[in-house]
Amino acid sequence: MTAGLVAVFFVACAMIAVGVFGAAWRRDVSAAVPTIPLMFAGAGIAFAGVARFAAAGGTHLLGQEFAVLLAVAAVALVALGLGIAGREGNR
Amino acid sequence: MDSLHAIGFYVSSGVLLIGALGVALLPRRGMRGAALAISGLGLAGVYYSLSAGFVGAIAFVCYLGCALMVAGPQYRTVEAVAGSAWRQVGAIGAALLLGVLAFSAFRGDFVSATFKGGPFDAVALGRLLFAHDVVATEAVALLGLIAIAGAAAAWRLRDRTSAR
Repeated sequence: MTAGLVAVFFVACAMIAVGVFGAAWRRDVSAAVPTIPLMFAGAGIAFAGVARFAAAGGTHLLGQEFAVLLAVAAVALVALGLGIAGREGNR
Repeated sequence: MDSLHAIGFYVSSGVLLIGALGVALLPRRGMRGAALAISGLGLAGVYYSLSAGFVGAIAFVCYLGCALMVAGPQYRTVEAVAGSAWRQVGAIGAALLLGVLAFSAFRGDFVSATFKGGPFDAVALGRLLFAHDVVATEAVALLGLIAIAGAAAAWRLRDRTSAR
């Protein structure tokens, strides 16, 4: 059994699609905000997969670096989104 | 990738996708927070099987923080202004996006290269983050600072308004 870049891309595009679906389908904005990390996770998996399987020449860890930045940005956006949504909403 | 790492990749991908579907579909905020934590665990496993253990550790901590925020007691419900027809169009668009991305991943021709790093190359990654691409790191740090300050300001304004 083996896994290559195509398998990684399949997981990545499934994550992005689930995130887009959740963001579009949820009526509650506070429930739609947590789908942002899902989309970012898909992008991060694709970057890490390219760094692992297809980074020919140059820096091999650039994709991993971008995945780290995406994870941190996801936390920041969830905090900001829930904060702004919580300001307007009802408990 | 050897068999052990491939099995780890597929198992972690399953955990990740189950958690992601839970975030998108579960009705209660506590369950959505738990699903987000599960997807963070799966994401860490995927990163580890892709020889990115340090990224996996950071992603797990970040997604655990997201899960705590989602499941926390300060949660508020805000109804969106978009109608149900637009939501259904968005859902169909997500399915089309999945089809297009999966087709391009399946039919694409990719360069293959040998990976020379270790499974947990924190030193090299830290060198990239804090020396080579320090401007990008500072930009994300600034985004995080603005987001946390904005969230705190929003909560304080709400508490002050509700106290009146």
